Amino acid sequence: MSTLARPTPVYVASPRRPTAADLLRQTVREVAAHSDLVRQLARATMRRAGAHTILGNVWWVLDPLLQMPLYVLLVGVILRSGTPDFPLFLFSAILPWKWFTSSLSEATSSVATRDQLIKQVAFPKIALPISAIVAVVPQFLFGLAPLLLMMGLFYRHRLSAFILLVPVVAAVQLVLSLAIGILLAICNAFARDTGRLTGFVFRIWFILSPALYSSDRIEHVSGRYPMLGIAFRLNPFTTLFESYRAVIYEGTFPSFIALVAVLLVSLGLLATTSIFFKRLEPSLAKIL
Amino acid sequence: MTAGRPTASPAAPTRADHPETGERRRPLAEPGVPANGTPGAGHGPLAIEVHDLGVQYSLRLTKRRTLRRNFSSFLRRRASLFWAIRGLSLAVRPGEVVAVIGPNGAGKTTLLQTLAGILLPSEGTVTVRGKVGALLGPAAFDLELSGRDNIALFAAFLGVDRRLLHARTDEIIRFADVGDFIDARMRTYSQGMRARLGFSVASVTDPDILLLDEVVSTGDHEYRTRSRARIREMITAARTIVLVTHDMQWVDEFCTRAVVVERGSIVADGAPAEVVKHYQERAEQTPAAREPRGRRV
Repeated sequence: MSTLARPTPVYVASPRRPTAADLLRQTVREVAAHSDLVRQLARATMRRAGAHTILGNVWWVLDPLLQMPLYVLLVGVILRSGTPDFPLFLFSAILPWKWFTSSLSEATSSVATRDQLIKQVAFPKIALPISAIVAVVPQFLFGLAPLLLMMGLFYRHRLSAFILLVPVVAAVQLVLSLAIGILLAICNAFARDTGRLTGFVFRIWFILSPALYSSDRIEHVSGRYPMLGIAFRLNPFTTLFESYRAVIYEGTFPSFIALVAVLLVSLGLLATTSIFFKRLEPSLAKIL
Repeated sequence: MTAGRPTASPAAPTRADHPETGERRRPLAEPGVPANGTPGAGHGPLAIEVHDLGVQYSLRLTKRRTLRRNFSSFLRRRASLFWAIRGLSLAVRPGEVVAVIGPNGAGKTTLLQTLAGILLPSEGTVTVRGKVGALLGPAAFDLELSGRDNIALFAAFLGVDRRLLHARTDEIIRFADVGDFIDARMRTYSQGMRARLGFSVASVTDPDILLLDEVVSTGDHEYRTRSRARIREMITAARTIVLVTHDMQWVDEFCTRAVVVERGSIVADGAPAEVVKHYQERAEQTPAAREPRGRRV
């Protein structure tokens, strides 16, 4: 057997508190070594998602489509504060937001629901939230299909080559999702209140982001409420929604400086939450 | 605790010292089993070395309490800590088949989890030389997926190389003997089928050291016979096995050594027949003394 030729792996464990740099290095090494696990887990999550529905993965396309008329009715018809081509304006923000919230809700429960496995097998637990988030990426990609269809049918005048920049903006959002998802996953393992709380926090976050309204409104509001103005500016989704809208709705370049700023903050956050996750990881088999 | 036996001794087993049960341990006479009659006659490095191991649990985190009571206990600083294992030392040589027996809550599973790298020691050191395969309890399969998908997923958790798995999948399926069900969702599987598939995946991954927790004594007669044959095969290949079981017949028949864990440390260590007899006698005498509660620090 080929296994005999390989050197014997030696596992030595002793109580030693690793430094933050150790933990970060360890995380990177583990995730790289277990890329197969991430892939298999993501595949399993995707297969499971459509298991008990008749339409299966068609829901990935239907979901944002069904949500849109709701907001068109609320904001465009009842509140009468829509912008030209309002459905497209809405869709370019609702689609990424839907992706964000489903990524994070999948990530939140990813560790707590695998309690049996965590007690039985030694593996890097950080693969769980990462794969949960990776598994939702196709949902976003499928959601782009109705967007393109809508643009081709009704908003041909808005279609431009800038739409090819969507993956760039999405990549920044993915890093942000990973950073927050890893944090929520470990918090939820220790206290199941996390899931409940995040649902509420996300609703506030959505209202404070320029999804249903344009960012001109932000200037308008922050004149009267300076604190809200600061919240708007610090909100990464202000930049993300503006960027999505620039490339889809307006047909211009996004603000790359703002995007890079969000990317750098997200990367810093990702490093921090990974270290935090890794620090608490050894307790998982005991508390679940 | 005070049994008049060498406690927590990492000494070599004394199988050969026990002539009256010698003829019952036929499987061990097969080639590849180290002649471990003479203490200290080790060949090569030890497979498992556990030195003064302690594993501590914090009851504050494990017990589900209300927020208010959590908070008050936090304020009082009464850390309710619990040593699941303390002061445990053990040395296992390659090829040994060690049975870990003891009452519920003694720390047997915790010991295996620590050897598998699932738990980290709170004190002491654990050294394991070789590739570890662990099957601790009924395998946690994803019931919404097919058996085939679960094999791939579980193997990925175990860190099995994809090419190796590909080559072995047929063998795994054959040993699990689930027939056409392999492509059906595992929700439709019987308990026995799930158990077979779990053992099958864990044992076909070619581990040097196999850790088993209460898995060999489940299933019907045929499965047991088959897993026995499999374990015998692994003994022949000089694989090291540490298993937790309550099936004393198993211990006697298959293991080269038995240790009794009580209250988080080893209280007896030696030839299976002798240790089992001693353990059963003690269990009848002092049932109350084995209660694991009240060990707070």
